[in-house]
Amino acid sequence: MAFWGPFGLLLITAALLLLPVAPALIELHERTDAAPLLTSSHDGRIVNFADAFHARLEPLRPQFELCRHNEELVQVSIAGMNVLLVGRDDFHFLPDELKSISAVMCAHALIPAKQVLETDIHAQKTLELGESAAVRAALSGGDIILRRNSTAFRWLHANGNIYLLEGSSAFGRLSARHSIHLEPGCAFEHMFAPQIITTGSYDEDPADELFKPHAPHANALHAGVRQLNPHSRRVSANAGHVFVPSRPRLRVQGDFVLDPGETMNANVIATGEIRLGAGSRFLGSAKGYHDVDIEEGASVHGSIVCGGNLRLGPRSFVAGPIMAEGNARIARGSRIGSPESLTTISVNAAQIATGCTLHGTCWARAGGKIEG
Amino acid sequence: MLLALFRVTLLLICIYTARHYYFTLNRLFGRQRHPYIDVETATWPAITVLIAAHNEEAVIADIIQALLEVDYPPENLTIIPVNDRSTDRTREIIDEFVERYPRIEPFHRVSGKPGKAAALKDAMQRVETEIVLIFDADYIPGKALIRQLVVPFFDPEVGAVMGRVVPLNVGKKLLTRLLDLERSGGYQVDQQARMNLHMVPQYGGTVAGIRKSALEEIGGWNENALAEDTDLTYRLLLAGWKTVYENRAECYEEVPERWPVRVRQIMRWAKGHNQAMISYLASTARTSELSWFERIDGVLLLGVYLMGPALLLGWLLAVVLFYTGVQIGGGLTVLALGAFTTLGNFAAFFEIAAATRLDGSRQRIRLLPLTLFGFTVSLISVSRAAWQQVEATILGEAELVWHKTERSRTAPALTPVASVLEEVPVPVEDSP
Repeated sequence: MAFWGPFGLLLITAALLLLPVAPALIELHERTDAAPLLTSSHDGRIVNFADAFHARLEPLRPQFELCRHNEELVQVSIAGMNVLLVGRDDFHFLPDELKSISAVMCAHALIPAKQVLETDIHAQKTLELGESAAVRAALSGGDIILRRNSTAFRWLHANGNIYLLEGSSAFGRLSARHSIHLEPGCAFEHMFAPQIITTGSYDEDPADELFKPHAPHANALHAGVRQLNPHSRRVSANAGHVFVPSRPRLRVQGDFVLDPGETMNANVIATGEIRLGAGSRFLGSAKGYHDVDIEEGASVHGSIVCGGNLRLGPRSFVAGPIMAEGNARIARGSRIGSPESLTTISVNAAQIATGCTLHGTCWARAGGKIEG
Repeated sequence: MLLALFRVTLLLICIYTARHYYFTLNRLFGRQRHPYIDVETATWPAITVLIAAHNEEAVIADIIQALLEVDYPPENLTIIPVNDRSTDRTREIIDEFVERYPRIEPFHRVSGKPGKAAALKDAMQRVETEIVLIFDADYIPGKALIRQLVVPFFDPEVGAVMGRVVPLNVGKKLLTRLLDLERSGGYQVDQQARMNLHMVPQYGGTVAGIRKSALEEIGGWNENALAEDTDLTYRLLLAGWKTVYENRAECYEEVPERWPVRVRQIMRWAKGHNQAMISYLASTARTSELSWFERIDGVLLLGVYLMGPALLLGWLLAVVLFYTGVQIGGGLTVLALGAFTTLGNFAAFFEIAAATRLDGSRQRIRLLPLTLFGFTVSLISVSRAAWQQVEATILGEAELVWHKTERSRTAPALTPVASVLEEVPVPVEDSP
């Protein structure tokens, strides 16, 4: 008893001490979660979903061509996905015809008005959504047209152009090899195309005013301002101009204002707001801890970083990229990026007026809207 | 006297405890800032990637191959392997790549001061681009990593960028598993919280980028710095340049697999960090160029490696004061003592637990109690490093010596993740 008492106590104490670390010891031995954390291996391109979808359906192409030839409908299964190969042009995409179908492969697709499809569509040529119709995701070898008030829920990609007519919405990813056209009332989240145009009544050429030479303000010389060659009408807006090591860096405690018509060649960081006056030309990059306001006809040939909200006035130009932690309001006739130098605008929420042209990626994390 | 010292120690512990909790709560419930992550289209500038390599025959091929496959315009990407006085096959392997890929411009350094900073300083003379990315040779960049590290430089205020380091050899040993948890806490919570709160994310010296004009403005690499990364963070900060952290710019690294290697590594970090503290503490606290948040965080960050000896001192003083019958007294002191003995010890573990949750890990959180062991080793190592520095200062000994961290990889990893996964049993889900 004299032996067993202390021994038992020792045993119980050891067990109590070991109890909290028992799961750790088991995990150390079993190694159930000992693989390295997965890092992102993809390249982050917007078209990745479309490419993956295309790659999955590509093996069905010979079978699809046969269906086209025979003008028949064939249901096949590939990688656990039920695919309907549509060889006829008179297919109506009715819900009854698409029960248990995950994807449809067809030549042309015309989704009737008010039809809601939960299948993914791979159209070899044009895809058109009727008024108030909705589709989960679609890939088109040609153009995609979303008629009034129609919706895409996940992603859309066209090897041609995409047209979003009045009131239509594209949630998720929207990408086109050539261009995206959006009418007033359209909603978007994340889109990419070499040319994104908000169509409307405004039809002036924004480039006309943008590249008019302005004389630099005498007081701006301290910040490294130099007069541009007045004969040089068009200023290239590529990244070579963003990363100029010799460009002066100006750090401002508080707000920074560039007066209307002035030209400045510097990178500016302001701990307050930034306001670039009407018709001013800013050849460097600008960062404001708070709001950034680019007034009518002003141009920024570098990037804009904004801790608050961003406002681009009418007919303004930014070479980009634009990174705003707040919301952005882009007025009519503005241009971001250029066909030779695609860029990104990344903001919380965006309101874009008609007559604007964006080149590259536009990402509105909380949603974007085209204003009428 | 002893009581006053004890109270100061307690106060410091409380401050660092609060800091840990603040960061963790911010990551769990605060607004997250990733201002540069969405930039996927741009005219990408010409950049140079420097690979710091000293006797890296086991790993150098992997990183060069990975860099050749990244998603970045090849005409704008120059790769410079910085072969710093290697005596193994590093030079031979690099030259084999150069024969096949002319855009690799090797720098075989055969003489000069030892150390990464000194090697990079010499290599910078060959750099012609404004943006420079730096990797250690044992890192394996993913396809999108280069673009992710370049994007923040479109911000004219950014002088340096730091990506996230993810251990590759996690499942090897207890040490690698503990370091995996520690890295998660450090990057997923600590660094990202600083980014969220506009504080001072730290440039880490690898998986990182720097603006050449900013580097030149602050006088280039400091070859006398043991922790050139910390040194650079503060010199940039004081010159008005920001360091930003990109949590999604992830890169695999090989963590030490042997305790002596780990001890040497953390002792070097501690000495380098303390060296930076002596150099920049006063100027960071005084500068009016920084916000109050940045100044406080900057000062606390400089002091992190002093908390090891402070904790040991606190324990020692607590015992001494207890047995000498000194009345500690006072509500605040009692509260501080409570924090010291409980929360102070667990705040860092709370941070790690939150990080594993944010990472979506499932079972590795079970190892949390064992981190106490790793914590104790670090505590002793860091305290020893601090003591050696004090000793060296008193005795006027020679300058500090830079030690390269020993690699455990013995052969190139063909597919980085797969090679490790092969050795780790993967749970099999039941089929329906």
